[in-house]
Amino acid sequence: MDNWEDMKIVAEQWSKQGIEFVQQIPPPQLYAAIAVLLLATIWLFSICLFRRTKFNTVLLSGLSGSGKTMLFYQLRDGSSHQGAVTSMEPNEGTFVLHYENIKKGKVKPVHLVDVPGHSRLRSKLEEYLPRAAAIVFVVDALEFLPNIRSASEYLYDILTNASVVKNKTPVLLCCNKTDKITAHTKDFIRKQMEKEIEKLRCSRTAVSTADITNDFTLGVEGEVFSFSHCHNKVTVAEASGLTGEIDQVQEFIREHVKP
Amino acid sequence: MLEQLLIFTRGGLILWTCKEIGNALKGSPIDTLIRSCLLEERSGAVSFNYDAPGAAYTLKWTFHNDLGLVFVAVYQRILHLLYVDDLLSMVKQSFSEVYDPKRMAYDDFDETFRQLRMEAEARAEELRKIKQLGKPVTGSVKKQGQVLKAGLEGGNKRVGEGGSKKDDGDGIKGKVSNLTNGHHSNENHKLGDDSQEGDLANGKENTSSNVAVDLSKLQKLRSKGVRGRGGVRKADSIGNKSSKVAAAEPAKKATKKNRVWDDAAPKQSKLDFTDSVDENGNNDHVEVVAADQGESMMDKEEVFSSDSESDDDDDDEPGSDEKPAEAKKKGWFSSVFQSITGKANLEKTDLGPALKALKERLMTKNVAEEIAEKLCESVEASLEGKKLSSFTRISSTVQAAMEDALVRILTPRRSIDILRDVHASKEQRKPYVVVFVGVNGVGKSTNLAKVAYWLQQHKVSVMMAACDTFRSGAVEQLRTHARRLQIPIFEKGYEKDPAVVAKEAIQEATRNGSDVVLVDTAGRMQDNEPLMRALSKLINLNQPDLVLFVGEALVGNDAVDQLSKFNQKLSDLSTSGNPRLIDGILLTKFDTIDDKVGAALSMVYISGSPVMFVGCGQSYTDLKKLNVKAIVKTLLK
Repeated sequence: MDNWEDMKIVAEQWSKQGIEFVQQIPPPQLYAAIAVLLLATIWLFSICLFRRTKFNTVLLSGLSGSGKTMLFYQLRDGSSHQGAVTSMEPNEGTFVLHYENIKKGKVKPVHLVDVPGHSRLRSKLEEYLPRAAAIVFVVDALEFLPNIRSASEYLYDILTNASVVKNKTPVLLCCNKTDKITAHTKDFIRKQMEKEIEKLRCSRTAVSTADITNDFTLGVEGEVFSFSHCHNKVTVAEASGLTGEIDQVQEFIREHVKP
Repeated sequence: MLEQLLIFTRGGLILWTCKEIGNALKGSPIDTLIRSCLLEERSGAVSFNYDAPGAAYTLKWTFHNDLGLVFVAVYQRILHLLYVDDLLSMVKQSFSEVYDPKRMAYDDFDETFRQLRMEAEARAEELRKIKQLGKPVTGSVKKQGQVLKAGLEGGNKRVGEGGSKKDDGDGIKGKVSNLTNGHHSNENHKLGDDSQEGDLANGKENTSSNVAVDLSKLQKLRSKGVRGRGGVRKADSIGNKSSKVAAAEPAKKATKKNRVWDDAAPKQSKLDFTDSVDENGNNDHVEVVAADQGESMMDKEEVFSSDSESDDDDDDEPGSDEKPAEAKKKGWFSSVFQSITGKANLEKTDLGPALKALKERLMTKNVAEEIAEKLCESVEASLEGKKLSSFTRISSTVQAAMEDALVRILTPRRSIDILRDVHASKEQRKPYVVVFVGVNGVGKSTNLAKVAYWLQQHKVSVMMAACDTFRSGAVEQLRTHARRLQIPIFEKGYEKDPAVVAKEAIQEATRNGSDVVLVDTAGRMQDNEPLMRALSKLINLNQPDLVLFVGEALVGNDAVDQLSKFNQKLSDLSTSGNPRLIDGILLTKFDTIDDKVGAALSMVYISGSPVMFVGCGQSYTDLKKLNVKAIVKTLLK
């Protein structure tokens, strides 16, 4: 108890000294100091808020074997090197897109993430979705029809994810491997995906009270689903990871990650 | 000869392939290796066999966990290359010196690789020469096989040169081609011994003991004057005899005579006390209200208390510190020191105690011992050589890795949306057939009724098929369920062939437009050969859409045996090229185990098929989906 009272006395002395010191400072300086402090806090605060809304993460997602890793390296280095195998871990990188290296001036680097498509690693996608500024969903245009069910389920899960709906994240449906002759066109793929998602919508909303896996439902009631019904923008593009024709993807990325 | 050696990152980019060996690999062995082995947490295994039309490869791999690299060597299975493990570790060492995360092309590594390969081959040849000098009599089975073949074909030169292990060392192409030709002819002759050879290739330590046994058998056969080929035939005929004997047994079981007690006159009255029902299940006597017990738990959101990870950490401390207290004191201090600096590379010795503790914990949660062992090996393989990040203990790193691995195993490999599959079948106008298989007493009929109830709630028309024609009361049991749920049931009574009953049930379902047919089968032990044959006949004949294995959560180490034997029998006895294996698991009696949920993990690991339903009670609504996160949390608590 003695210690406590001693400390109280010491504290009182210090506060008295502090107040005397402050009173000694001429008023303009004091006001200036306070103003500077206020401005600094406001500035930091606004930066935090500002940063939070401006993401620069672009996700490359899609089924296993659709060509995401190849696209990742094309975007980064302009060549796909010696090929790729099934990814076991995500590929991440923050860099300026390769084709923009030649541009002069300040170009903002893009944080590109290639999430493995294997179903066992599906949970990794959930980690990145909240911070995504844009999503590129890669589809294999060559082996499209055998995998259409899994691809549409994956796309459906992404489009109905809570963060994607809240942030209205734009999605690019990228048809990869279009350099091959037997690859399907992007219109065909778009129509087929819309049909499949319509089927999914019916089977999953038929049990809407019981459905707990999807947070939101897609589309408009009573109408056949189409990508224009989504609140977030869904566009379709073609690309070829092997040969390097990735202009549409690059434009998409640049559009949504503002320099 | 090595077919290919690849170096790639864990993210999937190929960094270097051997350009000297230009053969393109048939099929996609690397992708299959990743999908069915490395991602399935079997990275502790020694090697992986891959079969493609036109090629049979064996793959061996090693990780460099610190840099996140994977080294894979592919070679033909018929060649037993000894130097592959050696070569892989040498390549790992030299490549990690050259590796730079920014660099993508490593052409200068070709030269280094060539030197390393020659070194490894030379070393292997030396070792083999030493072995040959030391043990002239016992060689591999192949060597002896070649001696026999020499008797058949008269190739005395080959006998002098020695066994198959010579091929790898010799760079002389002529001999290699001769030997490969010889191998192909050998393949045609030796049908029975093929699998044996594969085993020998993998289990090098067991080689000598296996060889000793085989040699003595071969010597005996040889002395009897039977040729090599005939010897194989003899072995086959022995196998046939035993199965014939087994098949004869069920025929002996004639109709059972009623037992007579106390010398009283046998009563002729029927012992069937079930209410009389006509075909459709409509009961005249009793008013049965359609069972409506509310929403099935499948559709309810699972609310589990999300206790924070701090709980786990607290439990971690007392558990691990209890047993090896003294030995760990010095280790604890150094590990604390290391955890702050965070520079240590994880070694096997560091991971050992943490993994052992984790294995014990898993086993107390009723995970089968074999599975826990394999899992720990896999986690060890993925952590060895990794740098500890600062401020983390070894045990927490191991725990995080194990949690990751468990989530990965329990997450299904494909979509388990049954309703979607049912709708797809509906469009094709055929019924969706589900067959429930399992050992005795696990709850097939009960859970069949629960699944029927759940499907009914989702407006799917269901039909039951009573293919358990053995157990007394099985048909009545299903009839009662069908009456309560008001769904049609197809039954043919007892002592009928279940495969035929199932076939007729499916035809009936197509006729009256049912969406789903649930087929109940009799419980059978996995060792019972004739019953397993009957089951595979049922599955082959009817080609169901879903083969659901019903297993109880109380089972311990037997789960591994049950599932692997079921799968094996289904694939062995299948008539078509594509055998139907177990597609999904239904875990029952989940309410009887509090937190000993390990059976789920054992079953999923050993079969690779996902858990589709979990039965947690005896009423119709007690059917749930497997909550992966909750199970992982409970397992590691």
